[in-house]
Amino acid sequence: MVIDRLVVPADPDEALELIREKRGVPLGGGLWLRMSGKRIGLAVDLSALGLEYIRDSGDSIEIGAMTSFREMEISGLLDERFGGLFSRVVGGVVGLQFRNMVTAGGTVAGKYAFAGLNAALLALGAKVVLAGEGERDFAAFLAESGTKPFLLEKIALPPRAAAGYSSLAITKGDFSILVAAAAFAGGTWRVAVGARPGAAMLSESAAAALGGQARPGAKAIEAAASAAATELTFSGDMRASSEYRREICPVLVRRALEEAIA
Amino acid sequence: MRDKNAGAATSLSSDKEFSAVRKSSPKIDAEGLALGRPAYADDLAPPNALFVKLVRSPHAFARVASVDASKALALPGVACVLTWKDVPRTPYTRAGQGYPEPSPRDKFILDEYVRYVGDEVAVVAAADERTAVRAAALVEVEYEVLKPVLSVDEAVDNPILIHPESGIHENFPIGFEPKRNIAAAYRMEIGDVEEELKRSEIRVEGLWRTQAQAHVAMEPHVSFSYLDIHGRLVIVTSTQNPWHTRRIVGMTLGMPLKDIRVVKPRIGGGFGGKQHIHLEPFVALVTLKTGKAARIALTRKEVFRATFTRHEMRIAVALGASREGRLSAIDMRILSNTGAYGEHALTTFMVAGSKTLPLYNKVKAVRFGGDVAYTNKVSAGAFRGYGAIQGLFALESAVDEMAAKLGMDPAELRKRNMIAEGETSEVFRIMGEGTEGVAMKVESCKLDWCVKRGMEMVGWDPKRLSWEVAPGRLRARGMAIAMQGSGIPLIDMGSARIELQDGGCFKLHVGATDIGTGSDTILAQIAAEELGVELGDISVFSSDTDHAPFDVGAYASSTTYVSGSAVLKAARSLKEKLIEKAAEKLGVGAGEIAYEGKSFSAPGGKSLSLFDLSFGTLYGDGEGMRTLSATESFTGRVSPPPYLAGFVEIELDMETGKVEVLDFVAVVDSGNPINPNLVRVQVEGGILQGIGMALCEEVRYSESGRLLSDSLISYAIPTRSDVGRIRVEIADSYEPTGPFGAKSAGEIGIDTPPAAIANAIRAATGARLYDLPFTPEKVLKAIKGRVLK
Amino acid sequence: MNATIVVNGAVERFTFESGDMLADVLRAAGYVEVKKGCDTGNCGACTVLVDGKPILSCSFLAARADGRAVTTVLGVEEEARRFASFLAAEGADQCGFCAPGFALTVIALSRELPEATEEEAREYLKGNLCRCSGYEGQNRAIMRYLEACNAR
Repeated sequence: MVIDRLVVPADPDEALELIREKRGVPLGGGLWLRMSGKRIGLAVDLSALGLEYIRDSGDSIEIGAMTSFREMEISGLLDERFGGLFSRVVGGVVGLQFRNMVTAGGTVAGKYAFAGLNAALLALGAKVVLAGEGERDFAAFLAESGTKPFLLEKIALPPRAAAGYSSLAITKGDFSILVAAAAFAGGTWRVAVGARPGAAMLSESAAAALGGQARPGAKAIEAAASAAATELTFSGDMRASSEYRREICPVLVRRALEEAIA
Repeated sequence: MRDKNAGAATSLSSDKEFSAVRKSSPKIDAEGLALGRPAYADDLAPPNALFVKLVRSPHAFARVASVDASKALALPGVACVLTWKDVPRTPYTRAGQGYPEPSPRDKFILDEYVRYVGDEVAVVAAADERTAVRAAALVEVEYEVLKPVLSVDEAVDNPILIHPESGIHENFPIGFEPKRNIAAAYRMEIGDVEEELKRSEIRVEGLWRTQAQAHVAMEPHVSFSYLDIHGRLVIVTSTQNPWHTRRIVGMTLGMPLKDIRVVKPRIGGGFGGKQHIHLEPFVALVTLKTGKAARIALTRKEVFRATFTRHEMRIAVALGASREGRLSAIDMRILSNTGAYGEHALTTFMVAGSKTLPLYNKVKAVRFGGDVAYTNKVSAGAFRGYGAIQGLFALESAVDEMAAKLGMDPAELRKRNMIAEGETSEVFRIMGEGTEGVAMKVESCKLDWCVKRGMEMVGWDPKRLSWEVAPGRLRARGMAIAMQGSGIPLIDMGSARIELQDGGCFKLHVGATDIGTGSDTILAQIAAEELGVELGDISVFSSDTDHAPFDVGAYASSTTYVSGSAVLKAARSLKEKLIEKAAEKLGVGAGEIAYEGKSFSAPGGKSLSLFDLSFGTLYGDGEGMRTLSATESFTGRVSPPPYLAGFVEIELDMETGKVEVLDFVAVVDSGNPINPNLVRVQVEGGILQGIGMALCEEVRYSESGRLLSDSLISYAIPTRSDVGRIRVEIADSYEPTGPFGAKSAGEIGIDTPPAAIANAIRAATGARLYDLPFTPEKVLKAIKGRVLK
Repeated sequence: MNATIVVNGAVERFTFESGDMLADVLRAAGYVEVKKGCDTGNCGACTVLVDGKPILSCSFLAARADGRAVTTVLGVEEEARRFASFLAAEGADQCGFCAPGFALTVIALSRELPEATEEEAREYLKGNLCRCSGYEGQNRAIMRYLEACNAR
């Protein structure tokens, strides 16, 4: 990677200014950035901003942007509040070393379509907090394009949720062909499908089919699963065709729901 | 002189006593490697070497109209830029094979045409890597873009010629027809296949397709070169075949071979991917032109894009059998895709038949033939299995289908038809590797035991090959048998030189090429066994063309059998000389000497230790002083096949088509295992590569011919968590023509997984898959038996 | 830019470009036990510990190691030697290219999860690819090594 200037601000305002005014590129884990092969004029390392935390703020669970996948994977707090969801979502990604480096913020800010984490956060009804801009719905954030430079500070989750996750990949180190995440929090179901290969999206019709019941029956689950496959769009890529993704979508959604209510 | 195993004429190893072989001695380099001591080519390159970067074609097929290197040359630190006009125009082949090579000489170091995305256009050398990369980007190339031929199904007789240039040729008839886009072709028939098929009561036919696979050795290819103080060219390179590299580089550059030295340092894996001449001509040319050391290390992307792959093949098989399950005829026709250049084109294609068809030697007729075609894709070359894995996928799938049609246990059908010890096959005589073969009686074949034992280990029950474990989750079992070879008879030669050192130790020089397999260790074990000393008494030096005697290199599963036999011969010769010397010292006839426990004894209580004898030869014996050494060579008269029976148990998710391997059992007959641990690991490693080919690996291209699978993200190899267990057992076998009864183990492990897994899927679903790899999508499609809409 | 990094216990000063990766800086300084096997952070051959945590040095900015402790396999030499003997006892030390990164990660495992089951060990080491051994022999060596560590 070629970086002309690297700064490590300890002050969040300074970091924000560099990003907004000086076209600074925020550095999370840096893995994807490195692979892009781009030349970076000004890189802003976020390591000194104190953004590495997983904490209970009272009315939400907050994950700091610089929290690594590994930290989420082994967090007792996340495990307890979300029924082991996080270790299943991020635990298998590539390898331990990779997970020690890749950050929640990097994946969320990058809006990576392949990331199971983004589908899971969507299903949890996550909110993202951008420095100087306040809280935003993650679904809305994901749907935006071409926004002005921002600094992602943290991700806010409901205090707890019943959640499930299902994914299919050809090998355990490979990108997923499709992922499905479902969560029940605050009396609402959210069903998200990601790696379509497009970015994760919520299926409103699947949520509707579940009718706000904490423990929907097999029929409702099946209806939700097929609703998701009908509502959402899929494409083909080198790992699978769009038809195949559509075919297995209801299977993964059903499995995610079954896991969530188990 | 007592041979403790003399007279033991049986084909089992267990009734013989050994002191050094048949022992799982730790490899002699384990610690150094784990600690990462400098050992690989990239660790050893001279610090002041020029960095070489290659400019590569972005087009699948194009003519290089012009190359303007002026901007690149203007950068400070750029030493030279070479284009096709600056390099010798000698056609050669990059296949690491003996002379004359059975591959067409259809490559120029740099050419006016580029034939795949990634093909080399220019060689840039600069003082450091950053400058070399910048300079390479500044080389301006004008291409006349041509329409490429991207499908092997459209290649033969396509009006677009991939090799229109003059000067290319075959070294002897291999069916080379570049005007038809054919790199090689071959046909043979024994008996009348059409007639036998017509007469057979049951027939099976099918078209199987195997994909191109990437080796993914952990070490990317690296070479460096420099001129030594005598002005000789020294090349240190990640290679499986130092002598072929030396010869081919020398002949192509027009240099006397004596002025070139090739050294193989530690290699980080090969699997056939380094059985080629790859980067050596480039660094050599830079060194010759500038007088300076030159180094090049490929990125992983370049390894994918611009080294070699396995040959993609289309294999049509027809089988005929009687209702009692006697196979009567086999017809195998192949279309193989050799990519842009024809390295290993003929030989991999022939091995698909020569190392598969003999398994069913009792048929009345056998026919094999086909073509190897060029396409504008990454060049295919050598890769473990070397055609056998492709041929066995088709053949063992067809045989399994036959069992289904007959309503017979697949294992029983194998038992009724497979080759047995003491038998032969006409195919051995007719099909070699590029030429005629060698008639051979199979002196060791424990396939019957391998099948029986494998059935036991996996719990094979022909009435219960598939069962449900949970709604929508099935388990199933499948099997396949395999054979390979042990070196190429009358073509592969290995040599060894053993010398007695002071201290009663020995120096063993072998040309044999340890690519991580542990051949240095097992060759030392063979020497230690014969010389009656410990493994630690033998120091091994290998694979340096200046210091070691000739060896073809590590391929064709030749090291244990061919190089090992050379070591055994040399050890025997040296032992005779030691005994003669001891007899001389003790004043008796050589026949009166008994040699045991590192000591020579004669009647009358006289004795002399090996230790003392060694000092005498170098310091104390006056006029009788001499270096005691022996150099011997070996070429196999036959190529005794190792055999393997593979049994897999899979779990199949019927809703997604995902297949997981829970248990892969392999029982292998590789003769007497010189080092059982190393045989086991070779087979385990091969099995996982075979599972990768069966389930997840595929070299893939865009519509314009650009490689899509050019990183470990887009080309996923099996991880540690992808397979349940792999269990390998070694049959008790002894090959009389092999060193201490050994055959080989390097390739056989890779051969059975694709067919075994296809057969298990068939048992579970009734659907047969013909196309590798069995991705979840393909499996689901087959299960649902329809085109997904 | 300049940085001070403690490598295997020794304080060292490095000079490099801002965008340089730790693996390249280490290798150029002679730490050739750090291997580069891929371009994408997948293979694990470049694994080093930064403040005790296994990371991929091919994708870790050298600048980020400033003021921190980096451990290569030579920084845990005694344990690595010990583990190497278990690998060698299985014949699983093949080409050796994955070995330094792999051995270091095994040692990290033995420190972080000394009671790991075979499945946990596999998961922990999933990011260390091996193409030679088929993993079986490596897994046998790991379990025996962990057993031996716990027996002490």
